[in-house]
Amino acid sequence: MTAFFAFVCVFLALTALVASEAEEVLSAVISLSVFGVLMAMVFVILQAPDVALTQAVINSGLVTSFFLVAYSQTQKPNLLEQKQDIGDGQ
Amino acid sequence: MGLLLLCLGIGWWLWKGVAAMEDPEFIIGPAAYYIINTAEETGAANIVAAILFDYRGIDTLGEASVIYTTVCGVAMLFSKSKYKRSSAGLSFIARRGVSFLVPFLLLYGSTIILMGHMTPGGGFQGGAVFATVTILLCIVFGSSFEMSRIKPKTKETIESLGGLFFVFLGGVGLLAGAGFLANTAAGFPRGQVGNFLSAGAIPLLNIAVGMKVGAGLSTIFYSMVRVLELEFGEQMSEVEGNDKN
Repeated sequence: MTAFFAFVCVFLALTALVASEAEEVLSAVISLSVFGVLMAMVFVILQAPDVALTQAVINSGLVTSFFLVAYSQTQKPNLLEQKQDIGDGQ
Repeated sequence: MGLLLLCLGIGWWLWKGVAAMEDPEFIIGPAAYYIINTAEETGAANIVAAILFDYRGIDTLGEASVIYTTVCGVAMLFSKSKYKRSSAGLSFIARRGVSFLVPFLLLYGSTIILMGHMTPGGGFQGGAVFATVTILLCIVFGSSFEMSRIKPKTKETIESLGGLFFVFLGGVGLLAGAGFLANTAAGFPRGQVGNFLSAGAIPLLNIAVGMKVGAGLSTIFYSMVRVLELEFGEQMSEVEGNDKN
């Protein structure tokens, strides 16, 4: 159990690092969602199932969908350039 | 580099603290009181639910009113009565898959709310599950489908009714002369610990909070999505008009 806990903790730090350092916003949002699920697992291991339920539902469901809605409404210069490139190629 | 070392140091410190918490001699003060007396005083098998809705009931009322204020603010900021376009929704496969999943999700949410005084969970978590179901419907079937099935007015009514129900249950304790949000002292039956009908007012308070949180979060998401689609639709029509010119 301790080994599993240590594995989850290390992975948690990795996903948090990816979420803060990733250049693409979408990768950061998905990484944050994975972070929430892992955080829920940590809470279960630490015997706090109430907090784990809240964390799992709010962070991987509600917060991710809010971020995705916000992301879909922002301008994305890189993607637009890529699309134009593809269109030019055709 | 120094920051990394600081993070690692604090992480190691937390790890030692977590390991120390498993030692029973660290359960002192209020924690020990709750573990010993909760089942006898409230009849709830879930100590967290007993603390949330009985010992610290007025804090929970404060949290619920925070959500209520947020919903009021968002609904006021994004209050456009009419909207023209709706998002198209996803493919046939996604629609069938989600319509297969939705009954189970609803069952899961109501289980979390209704069994909140015995198993982990409660009003907040179950309400969030209900809100997630409406968000799924909104994304997969398009926002006009969700609005035609669950009217925004109905959601606001459910949310306000939940808040009123909570305050009314608190007022019962006041009428019985036992203080605001009193549970067993106000005459709510304690029941047998672990039975479905137990713990006095805690299941009723769970239902009230579930109504409030589910309808509130769903209203926030829905009003944001509606306004964003409105603006997007107006921009699109402007672009089309420019193209014609």
